[in-house]
Amino acid sequence: MKRLRLLAIVFAAVIATFSSQGSLAYYSAVGKATNVVTSGEISLLIHEKTASGEDFPKEGVYVKPGDPVEKIVTVENICGHPFYLRVKLVDGVCDDFLSSEDCIGVDINTEYWTEKDGYYYYNDILTPGSSTEPVFSQVQMNGENIGNEYLGKNLTLTISAYAVQSENNPAENPWDAAGWPDSEVPN
Amino acid sequence: MKRNLKRIISGICAVILYVSAFVSVSAENGKVTYSGYSGTFVFEPGSEHSPTDLFPNFKDVMPGDTISQRITVKNEASNDVKVKIYLRSLGATEEIKEFLSKLSLKVENVEDKVMFNSSAEQTDGLTDWVCLGLLYSGGETDLDVTLSVPASLDNSYSSQIGYIDWEFKIEEFPVEDSDPSPSTSDSRFAPLIASVLAAACVLLIPLLVLLRKKRNAEEEEQ
Repeated sequence: MKRLRLLAIVFAAVIATFSSQGSLAYYSAVGKATNVVTSGEISLLIHEKTASGEDFPKEGVYVKPGDPVEKIVTVENICGHPFYLRVKLVDGVCDDFLSSEDCIGVDINTEYWTEKDGYYYYNDILTPGSSTEPVFSQVQMNGENIGNEYLGKNLTLTISAYAVQSENNPAENPWDAAGWPDSEVPN
Repeated sequence: MKRNLKRIISGICAVILYVSAFVSVSAENGKVTYSGYSGTFVFEPGSEHSPTDLFPNFKDVMPGDTISQRITVKNEASNDVKVKIYLRSLGATEEIKEFLSKLSLKVENVEDKVMFNSSAEQTDGLTDWVCLGLLYSGGETDLDVTLSVPASLDNSYSSQIGYIDWEFKIEEFPVEDSDPSPSTSDSRFAPLIASVLAAACVLLIPLLVLLRKKRNAEEEEQ
């Protein structure tokens, strides 16, 4: 008799448990997401080529007064953002016998570049992956100011390029854009 | 001629596929999916920086940018449960707080209720768990996240990476009869439960009858 009662209680418990299991279930779980924000950058590359399309020799070239040197300078946008662009040309000489302005002349491509306050501004926005029209394509020593006494001297022409994003930075002229980086070369 | 035409068509198709793939990636939503019994979340799309990254649109940001990111939170648990989903922010990793402190972040739910509106490294209104809603199986809700980058951000903040940790929590509840979701059965265990119940009933009834008979017999003997 007692065994039968026990058995009945067990079966009743089984029925109660399975009938009510839907209302007793309760689970929880936690998951973590690591979200990432990255900032972009502006980057460019200056190309110096000869007339035949080869890289301009890093060691320089020997020239005589009056001889034109083919040196085609362009700038490429190598980042994912469009930008305004300006370049600065700084001449130099190995010693102070002459000011460089007296001895080096370049044929600035004024159709695409505009001089303002010592910089040459590219007239268009430079889009990602594209290159500018040449800043200049020829360098010439000023024969009137360079005589035999300057044989063996080194003349240098340094080209520095500066860019500032054009996104969220509307400007009527490139030189009016905000955020131009400071010049790092002497005026 | 035909071969050239095929090549051209193939080329065009390839370009279209490439462009469409790029467009879909660039407009990608973040997605949080709760898959149920395994008790795990799936976070998509992830990125090269974090496999659980929900911010695909917040990459390569520039000064002056204001960018939106939609995050869809979905319950894909089986249809006998409803879940409450909660969110909280753990803030930014200590080392890169400086970069994120310059950015503003806003998080809104589908009712345009602002849950977070502060610099991105803070925890603000998401310091404690905030319930995103009660979701039935297949149900989903959206979060709209807006990132604002000040135009004054200078070069020292270029090429930076900031990590923001978010935690999601669910609580599962059984679907009640009064719930709008029509389903009340468990697709996986229903046959087993029904079998056990039926067997128990079948065995209990004759047992009760037997007990009754025994009791009656005992009473008659007395």
